[in-house]
Amino acid sequence: MKIVAAKKILKANDQLAEENRQKLTAAGVFCVNVVGSPGAGKTTLLEALFAALDGRLRPAVIEGDIAGSIDAERIEKLGVPVVQINTQGACHLDASMIAAAAEDLDYSAIDLLLIENVGNLVCTAGFDLGEHLRIIVLSTTEGDDKAAKYPAIFQGSHALVITKADLLPHTNFDTRRIAADMKRLAPKAETFQVAALTGEGIAPAAEWLAAKCAASATDD
Amino acid sequence: MHELSIVEALIEQAQKEMDRAGHRGRVLRMELVIGRLAGVSCDSVRFAFDLLAPGTPLEGAQVHIAEPKATCRCHTCDAKLEIDEITIRCPHCGGIELTIEGGRELLLQSIEIED
Ligand SMILES: Nc1nc2c(ncn2[C@@H]2O[C@H](COP(=O)(O)OP(=O)(O)OP(=O)(O)O)[C@@H](O)[C@H]2O)c(=O)[nH]1
Ligand SMILES: [Mg+2]
Ligand SMILES: [Zn+2]
Repeated sequence: MKIVAAKKILKANDQLAEENRQKLTAAGVFCVNVVGSPGAGKTTLLEALFAALDGRLRPAVIEGDIAGSIDAERIEKLGVPVVQINTQGACHLDASMIAAAAEDLDYSAIDLLLIENVGNLVCTAGFDLGEHLRIIVLSTTEGDDKAAKYPAIFQGSHALVITKADLLPHTNFDTRRIAADMKRLAPKAETFQVAALTGEGIAPAAEWLAAKCAASATDD
Repeated sequence: MHELSIVEALIEQAQKEMDRAGHRGRVLRMELVIGRLAGVSCDSVRFAFDLLAPGTPLEGAQVHIAEPKATCRCHTCDAKLEIDEITIRCPHCGGIELTIEGGRELLLQSIEIED
């Protein structure tokens, strides 16, 4: 007997992600999936955003790493609630990991949940976590061809944060090239240029995030 | 690579389809559709399947994978071409205004169960 299914293989993840999103929305928590290469500056960006928000929102973080809790410890130092997920080798977070981590978070005490995904430009693109927004972090030392070479992750993102802008004079990174690729791949995405380490350019990104968070709160 | 979690989801889904059809037999053959731009390696899927299928009704099933190409339409020369990897330039005229469609499928198409 032949059963014709013609079903999406990742449907189970998509369904779970939708459940995560509904729970977050119902609790008034705005959730952002932060993706980028290993070492792009994701954790440093989170640290800079929290400094810029200066207590304005009640944030929490889920840290996804293959092993260890180095990043979670950095976030914890800021007094921000954080849950570490170790993926045991998996190259991306998925919706079931987020559902499990959420059990350790008190949604009623949070406005903004930032998820730092595993450093990876490929596999993270295939897994919806239930977030409201996805931010792709690209550092100037990685090269300006990354959107062209890894289109899927850029395509589905709502904002591009170009980090390590302080190093621009030492690289051949051409911001016009990445802007042209973004125009083609994700014309509606916002682009921010920051040096998270010095805080330069962080304010507009933090304002944008706070505005998105506020807009979603008034939606429901 | 995340082929392992994809195959995990795949085996779960195949078992769900069998439950729905009220069938408990052994799966003889399974057809998948994995587009060329899905970012999934078919070899790794087969490898993960051999690793994860034992002990499930899918053990020993023949895995057939269709790999559809994507189409790339160029806004400069109007060419409509089939591509099997992502491109940022029209293979015909070098234009950069392109619309790429399809090729991202990741489907469990069908399963064939022993009667
Ligand atoms: N010069 C400069 N260095 C930066 C900046 N942001 C981050 N870095 C440095 O880049 C390195 C990696 O930064 P992280 O924030 O740990 O990167 P990450 O993306 O979280 O890395 P993983 O979690 O390991 O994937 C660290 O040494 C940071 O200090 C920046 O704006 N300018
Ligand atoms: Mg980090
Ligand atoms: Zn052309």
